[in-house]
Amino acid sequence: MKEFRFIWIAGLLVTLAVIAIPVILFASSGGEASADPWDYVKPTPSHVDHSALMAGPYATGAEVTAACLECHESAASEVMGTTHWTWESEPMMLPGRDEPVTVGKKNQINNFCIGIQGNWTGCTKCHTGYGWEDASFDFAEETNVDCLVCHADTSLYGKGTAGNPADGVDLAAAAGSVGRPTRRNCGSCHFDGGGGNAVKHGDLDESLYYPDETVDVHMGRLGFECVDCHAGEDHQIAGHMISVSPQVKDELACTNCHAPDVHADARINAHVDSVACQTCHIPEGALRHATKMDWDWSTAGQDLPEDPHTYLKIKGNFVYEHDFRPAYAWWNGDADRYLLGDIIDPTAVTQLTRPLGDIDDATAKIWPFKVHTARQPFDAVNNYLLVPVTAGEDGFWTNFDWDQAFRLNEANTGLAYSGEYGFAPTSMYWSLTHMVQPKEQALQCYDCHGENGRMDWAALGYFGDPMTWGGRELGINN
Amino acid sequence: MARFTTNGRAGLAGAGRIIKPVVVIGLLVAVVFFLFGRTIAQEGEPAATPAPSPIHPVFPLLDADGANVLASGVAVSTMTTCGGCHDTAFIAANNFHADVGLETYGQPGSLSGGRPWDTGAGLFGKWNPILYRYLSPEADATVDLTTPEWVQLFGERHAGGGPAVTSRGGGPLVDSGLAVDTTIVDPATGEARPWDWAASGTADLNCFVCHLPGADNEARVAALAAGRFADATTATLAGTGIVEQAGGNAGAWVYNPAAFDEAGNLLPEYITVGDPTSANCGNCHGVVHNEETPLTLDELTVADWNTLTTGQIMSPQRLNASGLNLQDKSALGRSWDIHMERVLECTSCHYSLNNPVYYRETSGKQPEHLTFDPRRMDLGEYIYRPLHQFAKGQSAQGTLAPGFDETIRRCESCHSIDNSHNWLPYKDRHTAAMACETCHTPRLYAPALESIDWTVLTAAGEPVRAYRGMEGDTLGAATLITGYEPVLLPRTNGDGTTTLAPFNLISSWYWIYGEEERPVPLRDLQAAFFAGDGYAPEIVAAFDADGDGELAAAELLITTETQRDAVSGRLSAAGLDSPRIRAEVQPWGINHNTARGEWATRECRDCHGGESRLAQSITLSDRTPGGELPALYEGGPVSWPGGIEATEGGGLAFVPSTAEAGLYVLGHNAARIVDILGALMVVGVSLGVLIHGGLRVLAARKRAKTAGEESGDPAATQQVYMYDVYERFWHWLQTAAILLLLFTGLIIHKPDLFGIFSFSYVVQVHNILALLLVLNAGLSLFYHLASGEIRQFIPRPRGFFDEAFSQALYYLRGIFRDEPHPVEKSRDRKLNPLQQMTYVMVLNVLLPAQIITGALMWGAQRWPEAAAALGGLPWLGPLHALVAWTFAAFIILHVYLTTTGPTPTAGIKAMMLGWEEMEITNDELRMTNEEAPAMDSA
Repeated sequence: MKEFRFIWIAGLLVTLAVIAIPVILFASSGGEASADPWDYVKPTPSHVDHSALMAGPYATGAEVTAACLECHESAASEVMGTTHWTWESEPMMLPGRDEPVTVGKKNQINNFCIGIQGNWTGCTKCHTGYGWEDASFDFAEETNVDCLVCHADTSLYGKGTAGNPADGVDLAAAAGSVGRPTRRNCGSCHFDGGGGNAVKHGDLDESLYYPDETVDVHMGRLGFECVDCHAGEDHQIAGHMISVSPQVKDELACTNCHAPDVHADARINAHVDSVACQTCHIPEGALRHATKMDWDWSTAGQDLPEDPHTYLKIKGNFVYEHDFRPAYAWWNGDADRYLLGDIIDPTAVTQLTRPLGDIDDATAKIWPFKVHTARQPFDAVNNYLLVPVTAGEDGFWTNFDWDQAFRLNEANTGLAYSGEYGFAPTSMYWSLTHMVQPKEQALQCYDCHGENGRMDWAALGYFGDPMTWGGRELGINN
Repeated sequence: MARFTTNGRAGLAGAGRIIKPVVVIGLLVAVVFFLFGRTIAQEGEPAATPAPSPIHPVFPLLDADGANVLASGVAVSTMTTCGGCHDTAFIAANNFHADVGLETYGQPGSLSGGRPWDTGAGLFGKWNPILYRYLSPEADATVDLTTPEWVQLFGERHAGGGPAVTSRGGGPLVDSGLAVDTTIVDPATGEARPWDWAASGTADLNCFVCHLPGADNEARVAALAAGRFADATTATLAGTGIVEQAGGNAGAWVYNPAAFDEAGNLLPEYITVGDPTSANCGNCHGVVHNEETPLTLDELTVADWNTLTTGQIMSPQRLNASGLNLQDKSALGRSWDIHMERVLECTSCHYSLNNPVYYRETSGKQPEHLTFDPRRMDLGEYIYRPLHQFAKGQSAQGTLAPGFDETIRRCESCHSIDNSHNWLPYKDRHTAAMACETCHTPRLYAPALESIDWTVLTAAGEPVRAYRGMEGDTLGAATLITGYEPVLLPRTNGDGTTTLAPFNLISSWYWIYGEEERPVPLRDLQAAFFAGDGYAPEIVAAFDADGDGELAAAELLITTETQRDAVSGRLSAAGLDSPRIRAEVQPWGINHNTARGEWATRECRDCHGGESRLAQSITLSDRTPGGELPALYEGGPVSWPGGIEATEGGGLAFVPSTAEAGLYVLGHNAARIVDILGALMVVGVSLGVLIHGGLRVLAARKRAKTAGEESGDPAATQQVYMYDVYERFWHWLQTAAILLLLFTGLIIHKPDLFGIFSFSYVVQVHNILALLLVLNAGLSLFYHLASGEIRQFIPRPRGFFDEAFSQALYYLRGIFRDEPHPVEKSRDRKLNPLQQMTYVMVLNVLLPAQIITGALMWGAQRWPEAAAALGGLPWLGPLHALVAWTFAAFIILHVYLTTTGPTPTAGIKAMMLGWEEMEITNDELRMTNEEAPAMDSA
């Protein structure tokens, strides 16, 4: 009998198991656990206060960099391997070209301020280096790397001409303030691209410093920093823009954190093969600050009433828009790029950047773009776009003499100037991917489909509204 | 397929498949070209993408005589203009939008389910308290509305044709000999004066008001109101550039020659006709907003009919993107109507019944082996004679065209419930009890009429109206719109099922008079209230409570006999016989403004709880004029479980009852008597046990005292192997299952008391436990049968009553005296006769009853007929609860009785360990521990 004294414990356990197992197996406690996007967000590293480590004093930025490299030995060489430093891509094949080419701010042009060649001191203010004032800049010198622009407190550090520290910066204080890049570090260049707040991108501007959730759900509602998404190892920052990296497949995607079929609605999920997340979740661009949509260089140099948003003598006429409706185009992540020296048809719009992909490209999706149009100078004899020297003593902005501005740059660009110039229409596509709206503000069916829809189905290659004509898998395309 | 008569209703209703409308439109165009040989200048290949140009061929505008209006200069008639290609006579004849009740026009009281004075089934003849004006029959001495005035006033919501063309006696209105067709009452004098139909013309069926995008309804209504009926169609073209009004707003319409080509056809850029857009329907049916601009609302009028009566607004826009001052607006990310959001138009569901794209046979007519019948009407035939009887549901108030009731596709015609709602337990049970709208239109976000009191008139000559869903009683840009939750009432559907569905209720109070009841004409009511520029002195005297000589809004309410008499006296004086107050509550069905699942009512507790959404009351009014309780409208498919209750402040509310609706909503409904009985039983048994146990303790103490140290030796005991392992296992498994079933059952029964538990999870756990219990009982039964142990439960006839009596006596007396148990417990005879009786009851009555009622409640999902055969959930639920209470009482008693062995814990220990401590009273039963295992094999 003794040996059975504890048999009731075994009995109790068996009884409980017999009840608990079926309950656990067969009773569902409701909604299946959805994949949590937070699982994919890297934890914020803890901050190390550098104020004691970086006591200074430092006479130059290079000295600060040297001090950084004492501990972060490979940091400079890592940065030097990124386009933040090179401003030029690896050689890549672009459609219709025989040779690999490199593309970047360093050697190519846009239709805003056109090109950095001959204009280095002004443009390289946003370079992660010190002292890029002409073509002879030493890209191999580690101490030329500017650590502070990305890591220092922006209230203690700023850059001046040629990317050197601005006058009056207390380098020791700045060096002591370093940490994980903040929105302000990134924004100081990326929000002000094109020469001022909100000018260039249409989805990046200073409203993202302290956005509410109606500006951007990630930064406003969830408190994201830029680098929470634009993360990377060894200073390789994820993300790219087709104007400077036309053939770089983007490793950054909404689906890195969100399941593509995240929508509760099967009808919406049926869209994700053909429609980028951004298309519905970024219904409009430039939500807070107007962005530049058109720039007419041909009127520059006149003595007209000036207004930074409509006309400046040094730049010409502008059109700014806010809450603009994006242009939509198929895009497979690659782009074609106008290269300096390419022959243009001055009567047609030259696309400096052109997203690749069409309705027959299964990897392409419909994306929202800001399209920036311009009339910019070209060589009327040689029929290629020209890069003027704008800043500086002899630049256009000083003398308002186009001939001089073009001629001065012949040596820098290697392109001969015939002596005759004109203004040709160009356009650039800027993919929209920030200022993301939550589902409550995303596009709805009728925004694109039906009589009042915003899509130009014919332009996208559809025969008609796919709501009634069926999707591209049917092949009823234009 | 279907046959049509040119003057009767078509005998068809449809089944079919949706084909992409654009394809169809394209085909239709082709057919039109083909049939009528019309050509549009076509150069080269047609464009790859259909250009936004009209798909409809160009056409001339013709007058009623068929002459081009450019030549004749008179009003357009769409009967001739559109009749060039389409059979407009057929269209006008088979058209409930034109007929609006003319066909069923009859004697007052002839409308089934209608009021005693109703003469028709639709706008023409069916009175309602919102519009108030009454279309008088020919025989009436006091005339309210005649046909011409009806067209002037109600033409606002009438597409023309029907009674605006044809006399209620038959034949054209121009030739009518009826006084009510050919006169109009002068509002100033109350005298009839002749109406000159030749001058006014008739309001022919107006194709443009529905088929012309941007049709100018305001201009049309103005022409009708002005009595220029023939101009109504022409006026609808205002704003197209085809016509303009000479001499400002009142002048005749003149044609713009620039809008026509040399052949006299309209230039395509001036006119586009096509399928009615939702905005076209919205001209008469309610607020439709299909634009990007934020939706705004000004005053709701009868032209906003469905919005006024229910608060429904048809728009794809998100609520928080609208321009309305909505409560908690920022959180309202849903659209006004999911179907509009998904780019459906009104015509997507309310299609022409012979449209070959949508056509389907009446449900029940189509052979079961066919899900689609490809034999369709030829598109050309359809274009020629498109049936203008549209698929419709069955509305609570609609009595027009009952032959077409429920021809519309229902939610489940397009939506699969099988492939959705997987989160919802008891899916079929829920959908059998509730219409889709019940959950998917949980709330309306626009104001709706709540009550209308015609027993008094405001200084503006208006009734006192109250709205629900907004603050205050005037709608303006700053009005806070709160929205409202509709009341849920049982609706009998076309297929005979009854489901709970959402409704707005509009209560009305109004004066009627006469032996043959008639509503008091507005002009008589106004004459009763007003004299000169203000209220009549008698009225002021009766209503002016504060004596300031003015009638404030709050004073305009009949609460006393004096007030009632003051009004009725003045009405009588005007020649109206015995004026009295009539009151009614009308239900207005809500089938639109559907929301996606995430916005639907989906929390179990919303309905399964004390405060169930299904039984949520709705305010009828904040007043009860004359103390008259309104009658609940019985003429429709709606029934009224529950009743009207007075609210604080003199108002009324309707309080629905799910029990009266024949529903037993778990967690909400409970048979009170069962719970009282059950609780009494449990409390009674507990008290009995406490008293009995207390007495035993007292008796034991007393014995101990008297016995003293006299005998330190308690009765000799020995250990007996009483319960083998399996017996103990099934017992304890059953114990746990029953206790947990009682607990989970209690949560399901009274979820409000156990807020932390998920209702649906507990229901699942309850079901799983029940299955375990049944399996355990079954295995145990098999064990007892196979081992023969079942005999232990079967009372033996011999000496049964003697033993039972002595056992009872023992519990009553012997137990207190420490007498030996009269029936010795042994390995072979564990149960005494009382136990045997109890277990016969528990195992043969209670347990099966609980299993059967429980299984049927669970099976209400799978085998609803089986549950219904036993009275359905309203019987099963209370029975299941009653048995559960009994089980609870049994368990208390059972546990207590285990303490009546040699020692209080002997019984429980035996059930845990198998060995029971037994008093040694019988030599035969003496056993040693070593002998015990031998018993197992015995």
